[in-house]
Amino acid sequence: MSLEQFSLQGKVALVIGAGTPIGRAAALALAEAGAEVAVATMLPSKQEEAIVTACVAAIQSLNRKSFARTIDVTKEDDVAALVQQTVTDLSCLDILINALDLPFAKPLSAVSLAEWQRVLAVNLTGVYLTCRAVSMPMLAQQAGRIINIVSVLGERGMANGSAYCAAQAGVLNLTRALSLEWARNGITVNAIGAGWTEGMGMIADEQIKQQLTRYIPNRRLAQPDEISDAVVYLASDGTGFITGQVIWIEGGVLSRL
Amino acid sequence: MGVLDKLRLDSKVAIVTGTGRGLGREMALALADAGADIVAAARTQAQIDETAQLVRAKNRRCLTAQTDVTDSGSVNRMVEATLAEFGRIDILVNNAGGATRGWNKPLETLSDEIWHNGISLNITSTFYCCRAVLPHMIMQGGGKIINVTSGLGVRASRYNFMYSTAKAGMINFTRALAMNYADKNIQATLILPGIFPHDDPQMMAFWQGGKFIPLGRPGKDDELGPACVFLASDLSSYMNGEMIALEGGGLAGGEVPTGFAPIVPLPEGVRE
Repeated sequence: MSLEQFSLQGKVALVIGAGTPIGRAAALALAEAGAEVAVATMLPSKQEEAIVTACVAAIQSLNRKSFARTIDVTKEDDVAALVQQTVTDLSCLDILINALDLPFAKPLSAVSLAEWQRVLAVNLTGVYLTCRAVSMPMLAQQAGRIINIVSVLGERGMANGSAYCAAQAGVLNLTRALSLEWARNGITVNAIGAGWTEGMGMIADEQIKQQLTRYIPNRRLAQPDEISDAVVYLASDGTGFITGQVIWIEGGVLSRL
Repeated sequence: MGVLDKLRLDSKVAIVTGTGRGLGREMALALADAGADIVAAARTQAQIDETAQLVRAKNRRCLTAQTDVTDSGSVNRMVEATLAEFGRIDILVNNAGGATRGWNKPLETLSDEIWHNGISLNITSTFYCCRAVLPHMIMQGGGKIINVTSGLGVRASRYNFMYSTAKAGMINFTRALAMNYADKNIQATLILPGIFPHDDPQMMAFWQGGKFIPLGRPGKDDELGPACVFLASDLSSYMNGEMIALEGGGLAGGEVPTGFAPIVPLPEGVRE
């Protein structure tokens, strides 16, 4: 085995939700490992746009090709146009990273139908739309890596987190089902299960952060790059036998009672 | 430091048990490729000598330690020899194990001996190795423990009681390590290899060429190395108590025809 096996030189990656801390870190890690990286927002917002634009500059300073696009991941046409631009501008598409993360917490009795649908549309339907859109080029080339970033709340419940928990669990099992569907087409579909990470939307305030720090066996939150580094591993050539799996990176929280 | 530099294991020392052949040897060589010095621990001296030659050919140091992992005295001597040779232990891969004679035996026919020997080889060995290594990792300020489990550790298969029990035990043992030693900067993780016939035509035929596996093929030995290096390196610095499964998608499904293992014919005289 050579460590060169982990290099992503010559690969093209697309990171959707590059405005989130983990998505941004994933885009930069992929570029550092050698890939050309297209980055897109998850929703049209000034804040996300600013982050992905800066992200492109950082990727280009590593001498990799890149572009940013503002999309709404719940809109079919936005997603299709993004995938099309990636294939046109960067010549192919090997790696898809879904770093979609719309945090939401509210007692269920107060969750409106519109709110429920919104949380599922971004966190879950967005993954369906992006996977479907990249399936065209990936099935044509009979090769691809799809990596969905999910939260530990896809595996554990949380009071007032019902909609978010349901959406995250949905992404997990969508990952498993798709992995089987495309198993013989050279496309692997896996998830990275992110633990509590600095800058994550679900961590509302300092008090929650302190409680979490006491609860997490590793006694600290993850830095975004500690989650996204696994993207480089999963995207590399040496992982062709891994599919339908979740790699949990969570400082031991799922281990403890 | 670039993201790929985090994979380097230069000046680290890794103990790998069951290094005489197969996946253990593969993992030891991958760790050496990433820069680690290796302690090859296994029962058969001739086999670990061969592994050591391969490690040294990569310009890494290798200590061979003939070890019976089911004997705590033997394990302790191996760890002492490691410290005498290298002065530190950064990585422990608990790979020794096997389905041995417990394979394909209905519970009513399992002898005390098969049960105890199997549990001892597959799980007590891991306890012995961790117990011997942990004080040094704590003193050094951290370390990585990688345990090897199996698809049988998370699902049952027909008539593999001892192995299923031991490999499931491995998973929760790892969680307990993660939970209790995280604050000492010690991370415990798991590798779950699916079916790896090691290019052996007989095993390949036994596993039907892996046609029942969703990916349509069994694992190749060299696919294990990158997972082991990832888990041993700083690239997985926040991963604790969790696993990487390399098994071609079987665990994602489970319904025929995408199940994890084929229905293997039972030997003569064993009831259906």
